[in-house]
Amino acid sequence: MNIDYNFDQPFIKEFDHRIENHGPFCSYDMFEMAYESAKRLAVPDFKGLQSPQHLPHMDFLNHQLDCAKQVVENMNGRAILADEVGLGKTIEAGLILKEYMIRGLAKKILILVPASLVNQWVKELNEKFYIPAVSQKKTYVWEQCDVVVSSLDTAKRPPHRDIVLDQQYDFIIIDEAHKLKNHKTKNYQFVNSLKKTYCLLLTATPVQNQLSDIFNLVTILKPGYLGSYDEFTKTFGNKRTALKQDDKLKELIQNVMVRNRREDTGVEWTKRNVETVWIDFNDEEQKVYNELDHDLVSSDPFTSITLKRELCSSREACYLSLKKMFEEHQEKYDGHSWSKEIIEKIEQLPHHSKAKQMVEIIQQSSEKFIVFTEYRSTQYYLQWFLQQHGISSVPFRGGFKRSKKEWMTQLFENHAQVLVATEAGGEGINLQFCRNMIHYDLPWNPMRLEQRIGRVHRFGQKDDVNIYYLAIKNTIDEHLVSLLYEKINLFERVIGDLDIILQQLNIPNLEDEIKDIYAESETPGEARIKLENLTAAFQDTAEGEVTEDGATDYS
Amino acid sequence: MEQQTIHSYLQKFFELNECELKGNDSGVLTVKLNEELDRLLLNRPFYWEYIKKIGQEGEPATLTFITNPDKREEKGEWIHFGSPRLHQIFQYQLKHGKFTMLYEQASQAALNPWLVANIKISYIGQQKKDEILSIGLHLISGVMVFDLMEKIKSIHFHTIIPDYCFTISPIIKIQSGYRRIEGYIRQYLDSMEHQWAEHSYNKFQQEKEILTHFYESYLQAADEEEQEQLTERYDNELDHLKKRLLPKIHIEPINGGLFYMSEETEKALRA
Repeated sequence: MNIDYNFDQPFIKEFDHRIENHGPFCSYDMFEMAYESAKRLAVPDFKGLQSPQHLPHMDFLNHQLDCAKQVVENMNGRAILADEVGLGKTIEAGLILKEYMIRGLAKKILILVPASLVNQWVKELNEKFYIPAVSQKKTYVWEQCDVVVSSLDTAKRPPHRDIVLDQQYDFIIIDEAHKLKNHKTKNYQFVNSLKKTYCLLLTATPVQNQLSDIFNLVTILKPGYLGSYDEFTKTFGNKRTALKQDDKLKELIQNVMVRNRREDTGVEWTKRNVETVWIDFNDEEQKVYNELDHDLVSSDPFTSITLKRELCSSREACYLSLKKMFEEHQEKYDGHSWSKEIIEKIEQLPHHSKAKQMVEIIQQSSEKFIVFTEYRSTQYYLQWFLQQHGISSVPFRGGFKRSKKEWMTQLFENHAQVLVATEAGGEGINLQFCRNMIHYDLPWNPMRLEQRIGRVHRFGQKDDVNIYYLAIKNTIDEHLVSLLYEKINLFERVIGDLDIILQQLNIPNLEDEIKDIYAESETPGEARIKLENLTAAFQDTAEGEVTEDGATDYS
Repeated sequence: MEQQTIHSYLQKFFELNECELKGNDSGVLTVKLNEELDRLLLNRPFYWEYIKKIGQEGEPATLTFITNPDKREEKGEWIHFGSPRLHQIFQYQLKHGKFTMLYEQASQAALNPWLVANIKISYIGQQKKDEILSIGLHLISGVMVFDLMEKIKSIHFHTIIPDYCFTISPIIKIQSGYRRIEGYIRQYLDSMEHQWAEHSYNKFQQEKEILTHFYESYLQAADEEEQEQLTERYDNELDHLKKRLLPKIHIEPINGGLFYMSEETEKALRA
C-alpha cells in the first residue's frame, strides 16, 4: 500500500530567501511561542472527541456525545442523524462539525436548512460552537465565506445554483433532510450533485412514507451502500413477509444512521398533558354537515370528505371550497337548488362551535398558545374571532419569507398571546417559550403531529406541556380521533416508532390510505369498518414490535 | 490546555508583543493593545482608516481577559481553550514566529550553525492525528538531534551575535540541509507500521467496490446521454471517497531557524 507523503514546498525557499536578505527574523521567544502554539493545536490521537474541551460552556448530553463519537469514529463523517424531535440533532451536528474543523479536515462548509431556521443556525453555530457561520445574503458569500448557512430553495435557484455546484465543500449539513426522500425531485438531484467530502443529513423522520425514503437518503451519503434501487426493493421491498430480513436492513442502516429515542436518552422530560376536547355541533351546523351527504357531492366521496373536514374547521373553509367548486363545474351544479341553498345555509351559520371552544380554553389561561389549523381560511377566521374576544394573535405560514417568520415569532414571544399557524408552519420554528398547543384540526398523517408538538416539547422546555385536540362528535373528526388516534394511543405515545410501524404494514402513505378508504367506500358504515380494520392492524404491529424494548429501533 | 496555562500564555504573548499590562491579578489580565494587535483582535479598519486620514495616532483599545473560572462574572472577556480570541492569537503567533536566526549568548566561543526545523506531521485517513517533531541539523557535521526545542530551553539566544564570539560558516546549505531532514522524515515514516492507513485503505477499497457496482448496474440500462451523466456522477463520488478515505500524510513545517551554538552546548545536546 502506498501512502502519499505530502511535503510543504515553499517553506524552505522562503527561509533561504530571508537568510540571503538578512531577515526579517523573529526573536527566540516569538519562535518558541509559535512552536508551543502549534503543540497546543495538534490533535494527538485518532480516536476520541476534541471538540468538547473547546466548548467548556456547553453541557452536552451523553447521547449527543456518543452520537458525535460514533459519526466521527465509525461512520467517517457521513451519516444520517435521526434522533426524535427535540433531542438536539442540531447540537450533535454542531459537535461533529466542530470536531472536523478542529482536526483541520473541514474548512469550506455549507449548511442547508429551512429558510426560517437560517438565522437560528447562524446564531447557534456562532454562540454555542464558535463556528463563524454567516447566512447567505449576497451572491459573493458563497465563494468568499468558509461557513455558509442558506436555505435549500435559495441555493438551488439560479444564479446561486451554478456557483454552489462549483464549490468544493469539505462538509455539508442538511437539516430537515426528509425533504430529500424522493430522488426525482430537484432538491434531491441538486444535493446529489454537490461536491462534498463529509455530509450529515438531519431528520426526525427518516422513513416518512415509504421504505424507499431511507434508500434515497442513504444513497446521497453512500451511493450503492444499499445496492441499486431494484436490488434494494427486491431484497427488502414490498413484501410483508420480508419482515425477518429486516434484521439485516436494520444492521445495514445502523452503520449510517444514529437514532436516539427519548426513552433511551435517560433524560427527564417535562410532562406532556394531553386532552381531547369533544365538541357538539349545534343543530344548524349539524344540519349543514348532513347536507354534505347530498347525492350531488357524495357521488365523489373524496370531495364529500374534503368538504366535511372543512366544515369541521370553519364555515369559511367549506364555503370557499363550495364556491370554487360551483364556479368550476357550473354545468354540474347550476341547475340544482341544493347548490344555492347550501351556500345560503352556510352563510347564515352562527360562529363555529369549535372556535368558541378554542376561545374558552385560551381565556381560562393567561399563557401563550399555539393553534394549528389545516386551512388558510380558518386561520383568517380564527384570528378575527380571537380579536373579537380581545385576544391578540399573529399568523404563521410556511410560505412566509424567512424574515417574516422570524418577525412573527418575535411578535408572538413579546406581544401576542396566540400564534395561529397553518400546517406548513409546523416545521422550522422553535417555540419553547410557549407550552400550550391546540390542534384545531387534526392532520391525517400522524407524523405531522409529532413535528408540530416537537416545536414546543423539546430541550429548553422547562414546563410541562399542554396539548389539546379539538374534535367534533358525529363527524369525520370523530372517526379519525376515536379510531386512528385514540385506539393506537397516538396522543400519549411518542411517535418515534410510528414510521417503523407504517413501514411494516407496508403503508406508504397513511394519509392516502385513509383518503382511499373514504373514496372507495359506498357508505359511511363501510368506511368505518375499513378504518377499524386498519386500526386493528396498526395495534397489532405496534404491540408486537414496539414493546420489546424498542426492538424496532434502528439504533 | 489548563486555564492557568492559558493565562501565562496570554501574559507572555502580550509582553512579547510589547503591550502594556495594566492589570494582572489572579486570572484577570488587562492589556493595552498596540495598533497591530488592535487591528487584529478588534477588527475595526474604519476606525483606523479614519484616524489616519485626519492625521492622528489613534488610541488602541484596552482589553480584559479572564481565565479564572471564579471571576467569570467580572467585566471582561472569558477566555478558554475554545475561545475564538485565543485561536486568533495562536494564528497570529504562528505567523509571526516562523523564521529566525539566533546566536547563543556564549562568552568567547566559536558558534556552529544549526538548522532547526519544527515540523507537524498529520496522519490523515478515516480519522486524523498530528505529531510534532523538532529536529536540529548540524550544518557542518550533518549530525541530527531530536526534540531540539525541548533541549535548548535553558540556553539564551539573541538575534545579535555576542561580543568575542564568531560564527563558522555552514558547509551544508540551508536548502540541502532541509532536504536531509525531509529525507529523515521519509525514512521515519517508512519505518513505521501504518495500521491506520491500512484500515483506511481497505475501507476505501470496500466502498469503492460498492460504488462501482452501483453505477455499473445503472450504466447498463442507460442511454448515451444518461451514461455521460452517470459517469460524471461516479467520478464525483469517487473523488469524495478518495478525499475521505485514501490515507495520506502531510508534512508541514511550523517554523524554522538558523541557530548558532557553542560546542559546549552541542555536547549537552548530544548527551
